[in-house]
Amino acid sequence: MQPEGMVHALEQIHRLLKPAGILIEIHPAVDGPPFVEVRSNEELFFSEEDPAFDYEEDLRRAEAAVESVLERRLFALEDRRKFELRTYAASVKEMRDHWTFVGAYDPEEPEEALLRRRDEMYARAAAALDAASDVPELVYVEPAQMSRLVPLMGDRLR
Amino acid sequence: MSVRTDPDGNETDALFELVHLEGAHVLEIGAGDGRLTWRYAHRAARVTAVEPFEASVARAKQGVQGADAAVEFHHAAFEDFAADNDPDVFDVALLSWALC
Repeated sequence: MQPEGMVHALEQIHRLLKPAGILIEIHPAVDGPPFVEVRSNEELFFSEEDPAFDYEEDLRRAEAAVESVLERRLFALEDRRKFELRTYAASVKEMRDHWTFVGAYDPEEPEEALLRRRDEMYARAAAALDAASDVPELVYVEPAQMSRLVPLMGDRLR
Repeated sequence: MSVRTDPDGNETDALFELVHLEGAHVLEIGAGDGRLTWRYAHRAARVTAVEPFEASVARAKQGVQGADAAVEFHHAAFEDFAADNDPDVFDVALLSWALC
């Protein structure tokens, strides 16, 4: 989404919310890329950042859009939480099939070199899965943040 | 084993800490395949979920079948949805992984 589109979306949400309404905004955290783990219970066998993470600039634009509506006093930030969204699979194939399935509509693919580095990372993860004791799982970890914003009346768009 | 997203409940714990959904009419923007929707919908009075990708909407509708919640999925771009709706309707708006 382009920056002006983000701001416009926030303006529209402001219009649709009741005056005492609440906006919950969730997006990947800008301060850390997603990473892949191989773990079994509490034992960690493998952990690497996703080398195809290439949307930091998009995240910064999203944060700038939120900041702009806060500065305009369209919304006020009341609270914020950081969390990790974790996706578990038994194998690399299962995990990648899942991402293909849920992300098939994503029009923007990372560049070829990044995709090759991601393939190599998943090959190392597969080796760690094979070598690990017990019944290990592959985990894709996405650092994220969730904000609670409330609409302000001063710049109310109607 | 099938793929499991957030079995730890990290996302829903954060959500329920930040907002009380009981009795609320929730607007979810970018609902995707309903992954998050069906996890909170039972708490809300009503959920209106908007998603621009038709295949995702179809999967989302399958996911909430049988759920004890009033959930409507709309296949629409949010801009179009917003233009067609009156102001001051929703108690909570959930912008879920959709701003970027």
